Amino acid sequence: MRETPITKTIIADPRSHYGNGPASTRHFITQRVTGLVNVVFLGLLLFLVVRLAGQDRTDLVAVIGNMVVGLPLMVLIAIVAVHMRNGMRDTLEDYFAGRMYRLVMGLNTFFCLVVALAGIGAVAKIVFWG
Amino acid sequence: MAELTLRKADQPQKGKTWPKPEGATRLREFHIYRYDPDKADNPRIDTYFVDLDDCGPMILDALLYIKNRTDPTLTLRRSCREGICGSCSMNINGLNTLACTKGMDDSSGPIKIYPLPHMPVVKDLVPDLSNFYAQHRAIEPWLKTTSPTPEKEWTQSVENRAKLDGLYECILCACCSTSCPSYWWNGEKYLGPAALLQAYRWLIDSRDETQPERLDNLEDPFKLYRCHTIMNCAQVCPKGLNPAKAIAQIKKMMVDRKVAA
Repeated sequence: MRETPITKTIIADPRSHYGNGPASTRHFITQRVTGLVNVVFLGLLLFLVVRLAGQDRTDLVAVIGNMVVGLPLMVLIAIVAVHMRNGMRDTLEDYFAGRMYRLVMGLNTFFCLVVALAGIGAVAKIVFWG
Repeated sequence: MAELTLRKADQPQKGKTWPKPEGATRLREFHIYRYDPDKADNPRIDTYFVDLDDCGPMILDALLYIKNRTDPTLTLRRSCREGICGSCSMNINGLNTLACTKGMDDSSGPIKIYPLPHMPVVKDLVPDLSNFYAQHRAIEPWLKTTSPTPEKEWTQSVENRAKLDGLYECILCACCSTSCPSYWWNGEKYLGPAALLQAYRWLIDSRDETQPERLDNLEDPFKLYRCHTIMNCAQVCPKGLNPAKAIAQIKKMMVDRKVAA
């Protein structure tokens, strides 16, 4: 999709906007907060990787099935999905505009939602049903 | 939409090697980008030689030596020759800087000189900076007030004046903006480090009374948030300023405002 040409008059106008202004700060805050939370949760992920290295499924179910491990893991998956969606938004904004942008952003949201639901569903199954 | 490769017609080719100055014993080799939009030729890289015994120590001295004695068609901007006007900004050995403050002895081997990257070229080393100036206009770089104008002048405390240090010194040479990959990608929508540094300079000026309006104007995914803290701007600034820090401060002001709302 071809964008509307941006003239020098548009560039020089202080009130020109190229996207959703208030949402941009919200996205910035979300990206930083989820990034920080991801750093904190990275410890949990590293613990799981090391703890489960070379173990079989029974051990995996025993560790992740523990509510103290399983619940934070589900939260982590949700936050990673939010962070992923936000990060991709920047890239998509660079490449697409108008209706095409809305379409690919919708696909991005759908993909992140599927990843989050699949991940959380898998962990929830282990936590609640073994 | 992004273009990942140069068109064939835009790819620089090997150009002419100009004769060495007669009788010179200490020579320095220069590879300089040449382009004339009035001709259909590709850009080319010409090779020149400068007699170091008959030339000043700076790159600008060498460029003027070439222009005056070897090739008068070489086109470049220059004015103050002491790092104040910002006219002679160009890409020297891969780094955006001012030709007048860059010494020839800072590097060894042939010196490669190109115009500022990713800008339309008017001719040779002269880039078209009209978008850059339009972006500077967009941040309204002047005092905006709502109170009645005082009889004498708008005063400012010493402490508040000190907050402008590291910001007011910008000479608008465009070295920072044209070194920024985000600016290369979104050169029209993203304001770039230079304009945002100036925006912050006016945002924190204690005499300015339109901070909320200025923040409203800047709040945009492209105008402000295309800064990804790559830091090229701080690395290349010939005045030693830190535009990335100023942009981070603007983002902090945006967050504070959002949280307080």
